[in-house]
Amino acid sequence: MDVANLLDPRVLLVTGKGGVGKSTVALALAMAGARTGLRTCLVEVEGRQAFAQLLETPPWDFTEREYRPGLFGMAIDPEDSLLEYLDKFYGVRPLTRLVRTSAAVEFATAAAPGIKDVLTIGKVKEMERRRDSDGRFSYDLLVVDAPPTGRIVNFLRAPDATTELVTVGPIRQQAQSLIDMLLDPARTNLVLVTLLEEMPVTETIESAAALRDLGLTLGPVIVNRVVPERLDDAGRKLLEGLDDDGLADLAALISDAGVALDRDGAAALRDLGRVHLRRVDLQQRMREVLAARLRLPRLELPYVPSSEFGAEEITRLARIIEEAVT
Amino acid sequence: MSPRRDALAAARGRELSDVVAERHVIVCTGAGGVGKTTTAAALALGAAALGRRTIVITIDPARRLAQSLGLTALGNTPHRVAGVDGLDAMMLDMKRTFDEVIDRHAPDPTRAEAIKSNRFYQQLSDSLAGTQEYMAMEKLYDLHETGRYDCIVIDTPPTRSALDFLDAPKRLTDFLEGRFLRMFLGPGMHVGRAFGRAAAFGTGLFMRAASRITGATVLEDLGSFFQSFEGMYEGFKTRAAAVYRLLQSRTAAFVVVSSPEGPALREARYFLQRLASDGMPTAGLVLNRTTPPPPEGITADADELARAVTRLRDDDSVEARTAAALLSLHADRVAVVERERRNVAAALRGVDPRAVVDVPELPDDVHDLDGLRAVGAYLYRLPVA
Repeated sequence: MDVANLLDPRVLLVTGKGGVGKSTVALALAMAGARTGLRTCLVEVEGRQAFAQLLETPPWDFTEREYRPGLFGMAIDPEDSLLEYLDKFYGVRPLTRLVRTSAAVEFATAAAPGIKDVLTIGKVKEMERRRDSDGRFSYDLLVVDAPPTGRIVNFLRAPDATTELVTVGPIRQQAQSLIDMLLDPARTNLVLVTLLEEMPVTETIESAAALRDLGLTLGPVIVNRVVPERLDDAGRKLLEGLDDDGLADLAALISDAGVALDRDGAAALRDLGRVHLRRVDLQQRMREVLAARLRLPRLELPYVPSSEFGAEEITRLARIIEEAVT
Repeated sequence: MSPRRDALAAARGRELSDVVAERHVIVCTGAGGVGKTTTAAALALGAAALGRRTIVITIDPARRLAQSLGLTALGNTPHRVAGVDGLDAMMLDMKRTFDEVIDRHAPDPTRAEAIKSNRFYQQLSDSLAGTQEYMAMEKLYDLHETGRYDCIVIDTPPTRSALDFLDAPKRLTDFLEGRFLRMFLGPGMHVGRAFGRAAAFGTGLFMRAASRITGATVLEDLGSFFQSFEGMYEGFKTRAAAVYRLLQSRTAAFVVVSSPEGPALREARYFLQRLASDGMPTAGLVLNRTTPPPPEGITADADELARAVTRLRDDDSVEARTAAALLSLHADRVAVVERERRNVAAALRGVDPRAVVDVPELPDDVHDLDGLRAVGAYLYRLPVA
């Protein structure tokens, strides 16, 4: 498997430690999918409204809407998912109102362990299998902004846990069909998002092992917010040996270029450069740890040091993904 | 300066010295991955340094940080932190805490065993939203009741929604009390008189659908599970109410932790609003890993910096290339500091965090006591010994 195959599976479940930019990456992946001509749907499962914020749209809900050409989006709510399920399999419309008003959903979604997760994954499967009237799949690619690594194993174990508790009936069959989807490498890949920092790298390695134990297939790892190295070897040497005379020269050079600078200012810039070098060195060490312990292809996305961060910046990330897969 | 910016400036002038010096309970909360555990441990270190008997309860610390606190395994018992007088640490074991809760409230050991061996019980703590949060609060109250500590600092579980945390006690008791469940779970369960015939009708219809979905045996198991809780609800509720009162009292303090990025700040905002509406004592907002401000001596704006970088790049000498690189790093920092400033201002519009403390990105990961002290230096000022 290779980075070029990143968007090949029908479902990408995107996960990562809190704070690594999982939702941003999910959006960039979905944008890249749409840009390469795949009919793509981005799925939010935890009701955070992250995408409505990033794309500046009204809140997302259970209705699938096209937000960019070929890029659809929706948010799964387990309650809606249950109602749709009841409706589809039992035609129990009169029941629907009762269910809504009687807090029965609390029963179905909370009492029986993991049913909420089963309903969420069940909705993903429904979208994955759905076909248009001409017989082709409605979506070529589903990108799911899945729960963070701390909860992903419980989330994905839910169908299995359900089959342990529920031994007969349609819920059991449903759960089994979800397991089939999750374990099929051509249908589902897990995409881990990480940073080149110690804690996210450690958690990524541990999660990868746990997810593999569940029998899931891991796609390429997305390494987010990589700071590009700005100094070449000569520059690094210069910076490390910069003495007082050197600082004065640096100040003069920069002042001549149009930014007035005294020696203190030059010293501050030197310190900035040294912090940058430490950061770059840490990144390299973490890259080596990932390479040695994970054995998965990696795609690096750059840190975006802009004063704004929104759809435009994420589109830039999407282009990088697009280039990597085409 | 507008009144709003004034308020933010005033909040930025405050830190958490009074909190670590005076409060009995300090709750750290916020989105996942923002440094809650680090903040909790650093606050606890500060309280202990003032001579207060202190414990920090953590949920899921990173391994190296846990090791530095002497926490090598889950265990529901406090450990001394080596090298720090008066500081204990504890890693919360959810399952064991839940068992303790059942033992406390069950009328007799037989009933406690019946509950603990039910297969639904065994998965309840994983699946029911709010259970982890509730257990954290149980443990907190437990330690409070022992009277052994002047200061209890607790790190909350990484919740899907900040709301889960405050709702946890109520949600669990509502759920276990199962007003709705008791309506239909059948023999041996009381149907509330008020529900009358309408409820009986709903009961039958729902039961038929529910058993078609899950299979009848599941419902029977569930029925006996809830039945075994009969008579325990009062105990749960009384306890939950006591926990809530403790958290609401002025001896408690909530510290909301966030990164300076949008998603974490939106959760922080939500939580600050919720604390205010519940009348909970908010102590402050800690902004972890903020980008340090650029040096003050350089006043050029973004365009001027960009022009200078272009000019320097025309020159192929190492000095000029390096100067261009350093200036562009500076320009990046100016842009990111501005982005973070706007993110924070947007998140705090109309909410009062009391104090806002920036903990700048430190050159190294925080994973030992020295690192925690470095964080602490931003959170509070300690008297010079």
